[in-house]
Amino acid sequence: MSKKEKSIMKLATAFALTFGIVPSAFAMHIMEGYLPVGYCIAWGAVCVPFLIAGFFSIQKTLRENRKAITVLAMSGAFVFVLSSLKIPSVTGSCSHMTGTGLGAILFGPSAVSILGIIVLIFQAVLLAHGGLTTLGANTFSMAIAGPFVSFGIYRLCKALKVNKMAAVFLAATLGDLFTYCVTSFQLALAYPSEIGGVGASAVKFLGVFAPTQLPLAVIEGILTTVIVMTLETYALPELKAIGFTREVK
Amino acid sequence: MRTINTIDSYAYESRIKGINPGLKAIVAMAALLFCIGTGDVLVSVSVFLSMGIITIFMGGLSVWKYLALLKIPVTFLILGTAAIVVGISHVPAGRFYITMPGFYLYLSDGGAALAARLILKAMAAVSAMYMLVLSTPASEIINLLGKLHVPKLISELMNLIYRFIFVMMDVQIHMKQAAESRLGYHNFLTSCRSFGGIGANLFMVSLKKAGVYYDAMTARCYEGELLFLEEERPVKTKEAAAAAGYLAFLLLLWLL
Repeated sequence: MSKKEKSIMKLATAFALTFGIVPSAFAMHIMEGYLPVGYCIAWGAVCVPFLIAGFFSIQKTLRENRKAITVLAMSGAFVFVLSSLKIPSVTGSCSHMTGTGLGAILFGPSAVSILGIIVLIFQAVLLAHGGLTTLGANTFSMAIAGPFVSFGIYRLCKALKVNKMAAVFLAATLGDLFTYCVTSFQLALAYPSEIGGVGASAVKFLGVFAPTQLPLAVIEGILTTVIVMTLETYALPELKAIGFTREVK
Repeated sequence: MRTINTIDSYAYESRIKGINPGLKAIVAMAALLFCIGTGDVLVSVSVFLSMGIITIFMGGLSVWKYLALLKIPVTFLILGTAAIVVGISHVPAGRFYITMPGFYLYLSDGGAALAARLILKAMAAVSAMYMLVLSTPASEIINLLGKLHVPKLISELMNLIYRFIFVMMDVQIHMKQAAESRLGYHNFLTSCRSFGGIGANLFMVSLKKAGVYYDAMTARCYEGELLFLEEERPVKTKEAAAAAGYLAFLLLLWLL
């Protein structure tokens, strides 16, 4: 490769990287039509047990307290609205939080799986982010894997008596990062590289989305912490009503 | 946030809103599956064009608005496709490579062709989905899910969430205006604080409203089942024939 070609390639790479940083709206929703049919079905099937568990948990809550239906619906709407807001950013990019970490901390991971799939359907239908055929894959990464990790970390931190705000920050940030890793892995499975297979391909997808997703995860952590802090200060009775403070003790 | 109001209002304004939602869903989903199932370039191109034509000419959406919507998934498309076209390896590979510290970036041989097919396929799939969502209000899509035997609890939750989204959006807009007019977003740190505060406030408001709405529902005889008025939209023979013809055309295109 000549020197000129090399410099062109480098310029192109730089262009791709900067372009990647600027308009990064919902970059981690796998878009409609991007996955082959087999993977769409497989990821959908993987979600089924989690969704059934979530369904039964919601059903049980409602049997005990029918009033919870509007609370659940409002929580779903809350997660949707939160995820549709442009978050503050340093680079002037336009990005959004997933809100699933917060959801998992507040409502528990099983309820979030159901709320999450509903929110993802609305994001596809009302915002054109994600898609109908990729719903299974997106549900697994955003409504199941991320929230479970967030919830696990939050619980672990509590058991280890870590400062609560640090626990919330870690839970939200790592949950977000895990979502990003799972999505990259899902894409890599569908499109393995010629050399190095799925592993090399996963590294590529991780690398391509890193400039947008790494800062986003930290910002999501900060925002979630601010939200939980404010809620603890001003909304203890409400938190008690959804069982958040009971868990804290 | 602008998008939510736009897609929803476009769906209500669409001239093909009156067509049976089930029929539209069948056509859209069949075309979508055709695209991603066959991966055929000709099928993709014709789905992309035909769905665009249906949305713009039959649905009456302006071309510019449609193009603006098509731009939404482009970031993902560019990044995702870049990862497929460019390979990394420890040894020099491919027709064309550049050296990075510790590894090589190369252009994979079949990558460009695969990427081109993928972009076409994905954009065709997106246009098929747009045909559905830009002509069918979300409440009708939820009703369709009910007809597919999605548990009643889920479709009820969806109906409530759909309505509450707009309530919460409204509350959020006012909170954001209030914060902005007090310089709540003038730099990154204050933005984070305002955003977090709005988020928490929104959550409190949502829980309060949840209680009020439940009382309102009980006052109107809610006993564990929400009933919504559904407009009857019978399938016309002409429309069914057109849909069948369209799908047969796609099938033929793929077979040839």
